[in-house]
Amino acid sequence: MIQIEQQRSFIQMRTVLKVVDNSGAKKVMCIQALKGKKGARLGDTIVASVKEAYPNGKVKKGKVVYGVVVRAAMQRGRCDGSEVKFDDNAVVLVDKQGQPIGTRVFGPVPHELRKKKHVKILSLAGHIA
Amino acid sequence: MGSKVLPQALITIPRNPNQCPIKRLGFYSVISRRSSPMKSAGVSTSFGGSNFGPLFAKRDFAVRAESNAEGEAVEAEENAEENVGEGSEVVAGTEGEGEAVSESEEAKPPRKPRVKLGDIMGILNKRAVEASENERPIPDIRTGDIVEIKLEVPENRRRLSVYKGIVISRQNAGIHTTIRIRRIIAGIGVEIVFPLYSPNIKEIKVVNHRKVRRARLYYLRDKLPRLSTFK
Repeated sequence: MIQIEQQRSFIQMRTVLKVVDNSGAKKVMCIQALKGKKGARLGDTIVASVKEAYPNGKVKKGKVVYGVVVRAAMQRGRCDGSEVKFDDNAVVLVDKQGQPIGTRVFGPVPHELRKKKHVKILSLAGHIA
Repeated sequence: MGSKVLPQALITIPRNPNQCPIKRLGFYSVISRRSSPMKSAGVSTSFGGSNFGPLFAKRDFAVRAESNAEGEAVEAEENAEENVGEGSEVVAGTEGEGEAVSESEEAKPPRKPRVKLGDIMGILNKRAVEASENERPIPDIRTGDIVEIKLEVPENRRRLSVYKGIVISRQNAGIHTTIRIRRIIAGIGVEIVFPLYSPNIKEIKVVNHRKVRRARLYYLRDKLPRLSTFK
């Protein structure tokens, strides 16, 4: 079977993302991309609904939360001409003010977050791509 | 400039092949040979009078009086431009310095090829690549190389970021030639596209090479993460 290369696109309504902090949720579904007409990209904030959660966590299933996209399968261009893309879509849950709910972040995060003022997430991250 | 051009123009007119008989050609060649060892700037006295017809004497003196080395070159260029079509047969016979006509031959460079519109981007790209190569030579990078790149990130500003991984593709586009590096970081596959000639790249080093039979290794995305892991 011939497989054409998949053109990745934005994170929009109904996109399921992985949660990579220890806030208690496992999977969230995007309800709204806060900025951007076509959808959210790497480093943007989204409104999401928790679809799957760990039994004892800070968030429960069905809760509406805000999240910051820390990994996106769509490439994001940087100012020096380079581009970065990850293999999956991942989000870190934050509150209205932008402070992460969890205390740990797993996996690599891009340093685009610094420009978007998500410094706390960067400091919690294990690896900065 | 106008005053310099004018006597030149006066002189060029009689140099039309239909107006200039072959006899004049003889004049010119004789004169040129006589004066070839000397630079035309200071030569006026040697031209005395005998070979000149009275028609040309005054004008030539006027030209030589006004012109200096630069002026000659400019006039020669202009003369060459004008005469290329008309008087090339006339002036082709003469050689060396001396006359304003033969000056034009001497000062005129070998015919430069015209730059075609379609070649401009290629030439600009080549120049930019050469300029970048002079600052920092780029090693030959091919698909399948395992490379290590040290990048200066203006946001990080502390240390140089190090990126290691396998080159899964190389896109050649002049100055924006890019390579795509893939690596598994903390369990997640990351692909980064780097422009090779970027000034932010401080060092590129080929660490290893893996034998591949393809130019684009996109199949690695579907394979086991083990194949894209590099310590």
